[in-house]
This record gives sequence, structure tokens and C-alpha cells, in this order.
Amino acid sequence: MSYAELQVTSNFSFLRGGSHPEELAEQAAAYGYTAIAITDRNTVAGLVRAHIAAKRHGVRFIPACRLDLADGPSLLAYPTSKNGWERLCKLLTTGNLRTEKGKCELYVRDVFACAEDLKFILIPPDTLNEHFDFDGSFKKSIDEYKQVIGQHLYVAAACTYTGDDAKRLFRISQLNIPMVATNDVHYHSDSRRQLQDVLTCVREKCTIHTAGFRLNKNAERFLKPVSEMQRLFRLYPEAIARSVEIADACKFSLDDLKYIYPEEITTEGRTPQEELIYLTWKGARERFHAGIPDKIRATIEFELEFIERKNYAAYFLTVHDLVRFARSKDILCQGRGSAANSVVCYCLGVTSVDPSRFNLLFARFMSDARNEPPDIDVDFEHERREEVIQYIYDKYGRDRAGIVATVTQERYKGAIRDVGKAMGLSADTISRLSGTVWSYSSETFDRERIIANGLNPDDRQLAKVLELTDQLIGFPRQLGQHTGGFVITQYKLTNLCPILNARMENRTCIEWNKDDIEALGFMKIDVLALGMLTCIRKAFDLVQQHYGTHLTLANIPQDVTGVYDMICDADTVGVFQIESRAQMSMLPRLKPREFYDLVIEVAIVRPGPIQGDMVHPYLRRRDGKEPVEFPSEALRGILGRTKGVPLFQEQAMEIAIVAADFTHTEADELRRSMATFKAKGKVSVLREKLVAGMMKNGYTEEFAGRVFKQIEGFGSYGFPESHAISFALLAYISSYLKWRYPDVFAAALLNSQPMGFYQPAQIVIDAQRHGVDVLPADVNHSAWDNTLTGFTGTSYALRLGFRQIKGMNEESAHAIVAARNQPYTSMQQLQDAGVPQEAIEKLADADAFRSLGMDRRNAWWEVPALQDAPTGIYQGQYSESATEPQMQLPFMPSAEHVFEDYAVTGLSLKAHPVSFVREKLLMLGITSTADLSTAGDGATVKVAGLILVRQRPGTASGICFITIEDERGIANLVVFRKLFDKYRKEILQSKLLMVEGKVQVEGKVIHVVVQRCVNLNKLFADIPITGHNGPALTLSRADEKTDKPDERTITGKTENDVFYKGRNFR
Amino acid sequence: MYIWIPHLLTDWLEVRKPELRGRPVIIRCRQHGRVIISAANTAAKKQGIFCGMTEADAKAIVPGLQAFDEIPGKEAQLLNAIGEWCIRFTPTVAVDMPDGLILDMSGCAHLWGGEEAYLKDLHTRLHNRGYDTCIAIADTIGVAWAMARFGGNGSIIAPQQHTAALLQLPPQALRLEEAVLERLRKVGFRRIAQFAGIKRAALRRRFGDILLQRMDEATGVILETINPLQPIAAYEERLACLEPIRTATGISIAIQKLLYQLCTRLHNEGKGLRYAVLRCYRVDHQIISTEIGTHRSSVNTDHLFKLFELKIPLLAPGLGIELFILEATIVEDMPPAQEALWRITTGNMESAEVAELIDRITGKISGAGISRYLPQEHYWPERAIKATRSLQEKPGTEWRCDRPRPTQLLANPEPIQVTVPVPDYPPMLFIYKSQLHNIKKADGPERIEREWWLEDGELRDYYTVEDEHGQRYWLFRSGAYSGNRTSEWFIHGFFA
Repeated sequence: MSYAELQVTSNFSFLRGGSHPEELAEQAAAYGYTAIAITDRNTVAGLVRAHIAAKRHGVRFIPACRLDLADGPSLLAYPTSKNGWERLCKLLTTGNLRTEKGKCELYVRDVFACAEDLKFILIPPDTLNEHFDFDGSFKKSIDEYKQVIGQHLYVAAACTYTGDDAKRLFRISQLNIPMVATNDVHYHSDSRRQLQDVLTCVREKCTIHTAGFRLNKNAERFLKPVSEMQRLFRLYPEAIARSVEIADACKFSLDDLKYIYPEEITTEGRTPQEELIYLTWKGARERFHAGIPDKIRATIEFELEFIERKNYAAYFLTVHDLVRFARSKDILCQGRGSAANSVVCYCLGVTSVDPSRFNLLFARFMSDARNEPPDIDVDFEHERREEVIQYIYDKYGRDRAGIVATVTQERYKGAIRDVGKAMGLSADTISRLSGTVWSYSSETFDRERIIANGLNPDDRQLAKVLELTDQLIGFPRQLGQHTGGFVITQYKLTNLCPILNARMENRTCIEWNKDDIEALGFMKIDVLALGMLTCIRKAFDLVQQHYGTHLTLANIPQDVTGVYDMICDADTVGVFQIESRAQMSMLPRLKPREFYDLVIEVAIVRPGPIQGDMVHPYLRRRDGKEPVEFPSEALRGILGRTKGVPLFQEQAMEIAIVAADFTHTEADELRRSMATFKAKGKVSVLREKLVAGMMKNGYTEEFAGRVFKQIEGFGSYGFPESHAISFALLAYISSYLKWRYPDVFAAALLNSQPMGFYQPAQIVIDAQRHGVDVLPADVNHSAWDNTLTGFTGTSYALRLGFRQIKGMNEESAHAIVAARNQPYTSMQQLQDAGVPQEAIEKLADADAFRSLGMDRRNAWWEVPALQDAPTGIYQGQYSESATEPQMQLPFMPSAEHVFEDYAVTGLSLKAHPVSFVREKLLMLGITSTADLSTAGDGATVKVAGLILVRQRPGTASGICFITIEDERGIANLVVFRKLFDKYRKEILQSKLLMVEGKVQVEGKVIHVVVQRCVNLNKLFADIPITGHNGPALTLSRADEKTDKPDERTITGKTENDVFYKGRNFR
Repeated sequence: MYIWIPHLLTDWLEVRKPELRGRPVIIRCRQHGRVIISAANTAAKKQGIFCGMTEADAKAIVPGLQAFDEIPGKEAQLLNAIGEWCIRFTPTVAVDMPDGLILDMSGCAHLWGGEEAYLKDLHTRLHNRGYDTCIAIADTIGVAWAMARFGGNGSIIAPQQHTAALLQLPPQALRLEEAVLERLRKVGFRRIAQFAGIKRAALRRRFGDILLQRMDEATGVILETINPLQPIAAYEERLACLEPIRTATGISIAIQKLLYQLCTRLHNEGKGLRYAVLRCYRVDHQIISTEIGTHRSSVNTDHLFKLFELKIPLLAPGLGIELFILEATIVEDMPPAQEALWRITTGNMESAEVAELIDRITGKISGAGISRYLPQEHYWPERAIKATRSLQEKPGTEWRCDRPRPTQLLANPEPIQVTVPVPDYPPMLFIYKSQLHNIKKADGPERIEREWWLEDGELRDYYTVEDEHGQRYWLFRSGAYSGNRTSEWFIHGFFA
């Protein structure tokens, strides 16, 4: 005989189910069930995973759902056909959209409205009343249900050893509804009971000791062998038979869902393919003014043929539509991703990288063997991406477009917190435990570290916590929204999947994540946000306004020598991608001279190549110090572009395919399994397979190991060549702007903050270094944005805007500008213009009243007096301040002004703080950062400055990189681990840090290898300053913690700290 | 006089845990989801840790930092205790939250031989108890407060000199809120003297009334009042006898007198007695004592006397008792009972008569004979109930009625022999205490798992069975049925 389990709660009923859908499907297959259904509470989020697993293990899977109703007993719903599934999705959508995210509010009448083609199983109450019978209210609901969904209604019967199973089964059999045997499954094996109890505690926010009756009495809710189910229902064998009956009636499978591309994308009655061909050739003629080269023509024809064969035309058209919209609104955008490097995309305007300059065949990455949807991510200006998103919703409707979900998983730290709390561990034990794990890549417990933290891993309770935490890791915790992945369909989205409200206003999502929709073959478009595009657009606008030149992403002059000279000098503050410390130290070594060098530059300073130890071989080969050779002839085609060293993600993949005989799917799985940290244990299997495969084909074990390490690194921070090219283009464009229009670039960068690695102060200093005059913010001259004013021969002067003032709001800034018909002469006028008191205070803080003849101290004296300025009918009369005797306020020294400037705007145009202590520094024999280059390699120097950034990259084995700044420039320090541990207090606490160390000159890169650190904060303290804590001058918040190396930097201190929150290098 | 205890909480910790002395210690609290340091000791501060920092940052700087959770209300409790202790220096002591004490020392200093000696003695004694203090003496509370914090330890401001002393201090010495201080700082005032002379109207417009008020309080223009501490006296009554008492009657009279005094006082303070100890001091310097307890707080003299009456025969007066001391060791609030218009007879538990009856029975059979059972949220039968002595204790949960449970539960299940069909049918017969019971009816099984977080072991399958005499029993099999071994069976309870 056979049996189908129809009532199963997976862990997608968050904090209820104790097993993954995959585990449940696998176990059901192992027991030889006829079929298994997953019935999560008001959600279908876990169904696709179960569906895939069931297919793999050969058991029939029934997509279903448990409907918890607000005004009636719960029902299990099973679609018998595609129509039924659509009804179910519609029903859930109704419930989801009615309420906030994470909830679903359903009523009996909703179910009745969508009952067609669904079978229902009614869930009776857990307990019988004192007459050993069901309550009257339940019986009344049954009558109601029976009337509407009569012949499709069943009732569930479960034997869970509650003591009155026999009575319950008897009462259920009396209900006059066909009885179906289920086991109310919550986990695939009874060993998960403990975990499920813990989940219950998390859900109920209690500990295991106080949970009491909220837990289950026993562990009977697991998948049982068919024979056991038959024995339990020996008196009611028809209940078992009926489960199979229902399973047979439910013909619907998730494979029946067919994704259909939307139709609005074509014009003049063309088919999508015709439309694409039309647009491509049209675009090609515009792009290639001089006539389309033959090679390009051939490529286009090849690509179009490929797209037709794979039926991807609609996808390209959808992307094109978005890009066209963005362009019509002057929103900058750029595509990237595997398909984005096609000539077709270039012709459609999705990308601006001229493909004729590269030998990139997109078909290589999208071969016929890899049967998955194409992938184009489109980046938009981050400030205006919402417009694009709303355009999608408007054009296709909320019922046809939705954002893909992301399933947030329990990670080590969250899991240990949940389990620890539920098991009643104290907060400090939990925090110690979570400190025992090194990084995401090794999410296992390190006995040594547990002991080192003063905990006993053999303690019964602790061992239990660790064991359960291990099980909990990887459990889904909630559905979030993907950063921008959209699914757009021709018909209603609810025909495929329920829609729910996202946390953000005006956003709706679907319940499935990107893997799910990929498995079902749905198309997804990524609408992403990129800050640099905002900056570039603002720069383009400023160039148009002040220099009268119209720039676009495509018409920037290519291959300008000056730009590459600047890049080679590592003069790249603010430039996209190549501005980080690591990139900057690489630039002079790599010396990019052409665009493809930039592509490599972008890709090389990444965890993948660094961990795979590919950087130095590449540099040596580039410098000609090492011959370019290939591990085998087969790899020449793959590695030719990069001098035999694999640098890009797809190169590593291809090596696995060519050299280790992996299939495309396996290679892809290899990369993916790295990305999902859950795949513990599996990693070493794949490693063996790769290394063995490569050795069999005659590669050295060492090379194979490096390739593997690199793939491991790519898993989380993958950078395929196509991405690198797109990014390199932006890097080039931003470099060009910086080189040609330093004033424009600085203004645009400041107006796009927060973004990038640098603080306003560094951007301003950098602009000054490039000969741009920078003027302070002033009530009579500034606007909200930073503006350009007064041409000075080479460039415009940069007038800082009110946005640089901390705490200033945009509205007040606009009010100031709007009422500034003639220059302000008193503070009173500002108030009359409707500028709130707080804003005026901020302006006083920022010393923005200089044009009124007031420095900040005088302004401060006036501001508080404004609050009882004459109002009502006396408005405009003289304020009392006018008649007050003139006050002689204490003089404010310029050092104090500078410190205040830093506190309020994060920068000062008056002087650099270090300049005030320069004399003392000289007496201590401390050189300026500018003199380091003359000190010579190997010289021992002392140098001091404000700490800009502290970072400890995970790839640098405990080395800490520090950048300090004095009034003449910056210096890069290297602190080795031992010294870091010794001087950690100095390094973490110093505002003004002095170090003594050896100068290391490598080309144009100068480092100081630190031997000794001294905290010189007290020099600042000696400056006469009115602050009660001395100057609050911690410039960097980029610190680090040793016990959490995965977070490579931590945010620093508190209110007491100032000002520029050094952005952290990755 | 003002006593500032800058490290109140950490000092207290170090007193309790001497091993912490000299090591960096912090107290932390949660604020908007962040863990903030609310107090730090000197060793921690020396290493650059300050209050308001997040714990994570502090730990990054000082890896060996010892952190303790804040105990709400601890400062007030400690200050009260220290304040009460200070009453030996002056009768008027007030607590100044969160870390200071105000002592009105008028007319006290000469007993110590002058203000200097007085201050020094106080400082030394507190220091010996582990509290680090800064003390200042001045004419006004405001200036004493300011000098203790900003004037250096041990400042004594001569009479009428307080205003001059104040002028040299920073504005923070005026007990102002941060916003006002910030404004003063911004215009560059670093000494009170710098703005003390400015027109009051100009100051008021910019810094508000509070600044002027604080200045006036400090200079003594406005008088500040304090709320002195009042120590709570022990609930203790004594009765000294002219002649040693040797008779039971004498002892009874003494007890009655003491009870009357004690109960009157308790009644007036709205309290009731739960435990009392009677100590009798005999002429031969022996002390004999006896105690009573009640199940609910009581001031009923007659009832309490009845309880003592039972104990009188146990007291051996020897050559005679010359002093009786009656102390109420546990006292509870007793809300005044509502006078009932009609006597409502439901809710026996609430009535005083029942409680008094139980008190008397308990007194007679001395001890554990009477227990009350309360339900507990456990499935495991042994833990499902809990014995308690209190009549007032409310059950944490409702009694569960959905599963039949025996009226008598054996403290330990007792093994039985059974004849039972496999796998999990109820037994057909069982033998308990050599008696054969044929089972006619049965229900079950009810499977109850071990509470895995407390213990390991076998689960139990419970059956409710009825034998041929209609008697019902609660039986269980230890462990689920498995074919390869015989299961053990137990009886665990009897139904009515």
C-alpha cells in the first residue's frame, strides 16, 4: 500500500518548522511515499526548493499551502490544476497586500471566493472539550465550509500520541467529512525535536525553561515510514487511501508554470525578434558613424541568431525599454553582466563599452550548454533609481511586475544568539561564543577559541547550544527584498506566485528568490543603484553649464595620455573603483596605459586573485621579469589576454571545464557552493575533484590548488571580465573628469556624498592640490549644493554648499537662497525669511556669517537671542539685542576655529590642525609627510598626522594599514600584526599619531613600516581650546576588532568623536 | 558638605570582588539596542575608556576589560546605605542622585575637632570601606557640589568665601544641562567669572532662567532645601522585667504585651507579620528563643498569641527570664481589608480564618505536614506540580483540564508486572503489590518525552486503565516499544 503526506510544515513557516524543504522531500523519497506536499503557513516561499529536491530524489511533489484564517479553522489547500494554483496565489496575494510585510490576513469569505480547482483539508482543533467532543463553534464552521466547498473538503486526522488519539479519530470520523490521514509533520526526523523546541522559544520570546506548554509534548511530528502510518490508522484504512487519492487528484506541478515575456516591448506589430533586429541595426548605424565594420556586422548576426535560437529577444527588449526610459529622463545608466558585453547591447545603448575594441564573445559565456536565462544588471544613478522602479510598476502594473525576494538565512552570529537566548545563556556568554568564530568562510566552532574564551565546550548545556546552533545555521529567517531584481510577466504575476508588500513604501515583491525563479525559468532584470553614476551625471551637468560641452558616457575622449599619466601616479582620490588604498598602491606597479589595463587593474585587487596568489605572477610577467607561459596549450585561449594568469572569474571557471573536465553545470555549481557558506563539507569534495581532474590532465598540483583557492575567493567577491570592463569604463570616465575638470569633479563628488572612500575633507584637499580655489560656505554666497563660481584662468572656484554643514536640512537651505534677493545684513533677516532657529544655529556653527562681519563666536552670541525677537504686530521692529551694550566676547584663536570647522563640516579651509603643532613636532624631530620621498629607501623616520583610515583586510594576515594626514599630505603606514597587538591602544585611541619606522620605496609607492607608535593627543590638548574634553578630533571611525576579522573594519567611537567617518576600504 | 563618589558602582563591585581591584572594570547598560558603558573605574578610565562609549569599542582598546551588567536602582540603594551610615556624622543626610550625598554638618564639626578633621575622618572611613570620594565643604549646596567636583578633593571654603570660589570654576560647576553648557562653551566662557558680571537680562535671553537660578542657588540668594534620609527602625519590641519571670503565665503576659505593642506599630504602618522571633534573656545569661510563622501577614494579636501559646511549654525559664525581645523578622505589606457589606463565602483561600487555622495546625504538627500544590508548566508529571507553603502565591499557570490526571500521584513510580500485546496497545492485566488487576477498559497512549534540557532518559507512554472493580490507575511504559527488548512498566497514580 502507499501513502502521501499532505500536512508538512517546513522551516519556511518561520520559527515553526524544524527542517528544510529539501530534507523533507529527500526523507519522503527515502520512505517511498507516493507524494509529499509542503503546507507552510500562508506562504509558498519554500515550495520551489522542495520541488527541485523532490525531482532529484524521485518523489512526486504537491505544491500547497496552509491557510490560517482570521475567522475560522485553518485549511490546507491543494491546487488540482494550474487554474487552482492561480486561485491560490491570488488568495494569498489578497491576504498579503491587506496588511504589512510578514503577515497575511485572510478570511473565510476570501477562501470561498477562490475555491475553484482547489482541494481543502480542514484542520480540527488540538483538543477535545470536557465531553470528549469538538466544540460547537468548530462544528458550525464545518457546516459553513461544507456548504460552499462540499465535495472538495476533507478533514485531517493525525495520531500524535496525545493520549486521546482514539477518541479524536472517532470524533473526526463522525463529522461526515472524508477523513485523511496526515502526521502534521514539522521535521523530517525526530532528532530535530530539540531544534524545533528552540525555534518555538525564539518565536514565543521565552527560554526553554519558561516555555512550558508552548512546546510540544513529544517528538511525534516527523515523517514516519509508510507501514507505521498504516498501523496508526489501522482502524481507518480509508484515511490512508484517501491521502493517495487526493495526491492523485492534484495534477498540478510547478513545472507547469510557464513564464511569458511581456508584450509591450514591441512596436508596429513586430514580433520580439523582429523588433530586436530592427532596433539593433538601427542602433548599430548610429553607433558606428563611419559604417559598420564587417567584423561587427558578423558578430551582430551571430548574436541575433543565437538570441533567436534561445528565444531571448524579449529579454533584451525589456532591458532596452528600461534604458530608453532612463535616457529619456536623463538618468545615467550602464549595463553589466554576462550578456551585457554583446554587440547587441552596445547597439541598443545598454552599455557604452565599444565592443570592437575587445575580443569579447558573449556567446562564450552564454554557450548553448548553459541553458539558463541571460543576465544583464543595469546600474542607475542611486538618487534616481526609484524613478526607474516606479516606471516599471507603472508601465506593467503591480500585478505584473514584482521585486524578487531574498531569503535571509540564519548565520552563525544570529544562530548562536537565538539558540543561546532560548537556552537561557547569559548575554556575555553569547557574545563570547559569537566571538569564537573567525569568519564566514569557516562557520564552525573552534574548540581552542572556545576554551580561550573561558568556556568549557564539554559542558552539557554549552555542547547542546553548539550542536543546535550548527543545525540552525542556514535556516531561513525572513523574506527580504532583493536589491533590485524584477520579474515582469505578460499576464498577471499572481498566476505564478503570490505578491507581498515590501518593507519599503511603494514596493511589492514576490515570495521566491532568485534561485527559485531561475529554477523555474523566469526572467529577472536587475535594476541596481550606483553612486558613481550620480556623480558622473552631476559632473556632466556642471560641465554643460560652465564649460558648455555636452558629455555622455559614450563621447568622452578615449585613450587620453594625460588621464593615464594621472592614474599611473595614483592620483585617483574619488575615482571610481581605483581610489582605494590597495588599488592606489597597485597603480604605479601596474602602470595602466590603455583601457584593458584598467580592466585588469579593477579585477586584480580583489580577494579572488589575491587569495589565489595571482597578483605577483601577473605583475612580474607584465614587467617582463618572468616569461609568459601557459600551463598547457589548451589554456592559451583562455589565459592569453592575461599573460597566462587567471584573473577573472570566468577564466577560473573555464579552467575547471577545460583542464579538470568539469561540465558547465558543475563549474557553475562549484562557484555557487563557495558563495553559499552553508555548503560545509561539500567544499573539500569539490576541491578534490578539481585538483584530481587537473592532475589527471597533467597540471601541477600547486597550480590546481591556486586555481581552486581563487575560485574560493571568487565565490563571494566574484568579478567576471564583463563586470570589470563596465567598471573600468566608469573608472576611466571619472578619471577623465578629474583630470580635465578637477573643479567640476570635486563639486559633483561632494554633491553625491555619501559615496566612495573619501571624506569631504580629502576631496577638498585633493581639489586644492589640483589648483582649484575652494571658498567656504556662506549665507550670502552658498546654495544647498556645492557650486562653481568665478573662473580663475584654469578652473572655476568651488563654493562649498550648505549640504556640507552637519545637521543642516535641505529645506532651510532653499529658503535662504529663495529669500536672498539682496545680500543679508543681519541674522534677523534670515529668521524673517522663514529659516528655523536650528538651521541658523548650524550656520553659526559652520562660521557661515563671515560676510555679515561676524565670526562664529559673535554669531553664537546672537543666535540664542533670536528666539525672543519681536513677533506678531511688532515683527520687523528692532530686537532687544540692538539696544544691548556691545559685548566683548573672549577671543577665538584660529586653532579653535579650525577644530570647530572640523566638527561641523568635516573640513576646514583655514588651516590643517596639524599645522598648529608643527613647531613642536619639529622639535621632536618629526618630519612632514611631504618629506618622506626625499628620505630615501630604508631610512628611519618619524612622522605624525591625523589618522584618516585604519584597516585590516582579511587577506593581509593581520597587517594593519593606516593612512595619516598632516598639513602637507598623507603617509601610508604598515603595521605588522605583532606590533599592532603591542600598540593597539595607541593606534585605536590616537587622534594625532606619531610613528617611527622605516621608509620603504617601491617605485612611486612609499610606505612607512612602523616600529613604534606614540599617541600625541596631548599636543592638541595644549592648544587653548574651549572644549571641555580638549579638541574632539578623531578623524577616523575606521577601526577594527581582532576577534571579528570578517568585519574588516568597525565603526569607531561615539558622539565625542568627530568627524569624518573614514570610509573603510574593502 | 558634599560627598561625591565618582566610582560608586565600580567601587562597590570591587568591594564585593576584591580580585577586580586595579583591573579595568566597566558597568554596561543597553540603550536603543547598543551596549553603552554607564560606569567605569579608575583603571579603565586611565586606559582611555569613558562613560557613553560602546562596549565593543572599549573592548577593542582594552581586551581584558571586565564588564558587568547594570542593576537598575543599584545607585539609589547604595547611596541610601552609605547615607544611613553617614548619619553618625550628622543627623541630616540627603541623597543626591546619581553619585553624591549632601550632609548638613551645621554644629557637628566641633565634635571631631574642626572641619578639617571631620572631613578627613569621613574620607578615611569611606576610603577604608572601599569608596573613593571627593568631599568639599561650603556655605551653599551649590558651591559644595561644585567644589567637590571641580575644586579638588578636600576643599573647605571658608564662610562667606563661597561666591569668590565659585567664580574661578568652569560653567559645568553650575549643574546645568548639556545644551546650556554647549552655548556657554560656544561663546567662549570658560570661567563663571567671565559672565557673572553680564546683565541678567542679556544672560536670560540667551541661556534661559535656569542659568540665573543656578547661579543664585550657588551664591545663596535662593535657598535650596534637601530631603533628608530617615533610617527605618527594626520591628523590635523589648520588655524588661523587674523580677525574673519563671511561670508560664508570666511568659504569656509578656508575650501578649509585646505582641500588642508590635502589632499596633505594624498596623499603623500598614504592615503585617509573617515571621517573628521571641528571645528570652535568662538570669544565667542563657538566651532561649522560639519563632512562629504565619501563612499570610497578620496583626491579629489573639491569633499570633495562640501560635506562641503552643510554644510556651517548650521554653525553659530556668532561674528566670529578665528580658524579652520580640522581633518581626519578616514583615509584609498588608493592604487594608475592605469592610464587606455582605459576607461572601466563596474563595476560602482569601479568608483570614482559613489562614489562621492552617497556622495553628502547622504550629501543632510542627512543619512539613501541610503543603499546597500549584500547577507548573511542565508536561513531565513529576514536575507538573509544585508544593508551596504560601497561601497567597498565585499559580503561574492555569490547571490543565484537557487530560485526565490521577488524584493521587505517587512520588516515585512503582514497577508492576504486565501482560501486554505489542506494539503499543494497553496492558491486559497487571500485578501491583502482589495483587492481580484485570484491565477492562483503557485509554492511551499519551506519549510524554523527557525535557531534554533538564535530563536525558526514556520517554513514557501513559495509559489510563480501569480494572474489573471499576478502579482506575495511571500506568506507563518506560521507553517506546521496540521489538528486541522487554519494556519496563510502572504505576504512577490512582484515580478516584
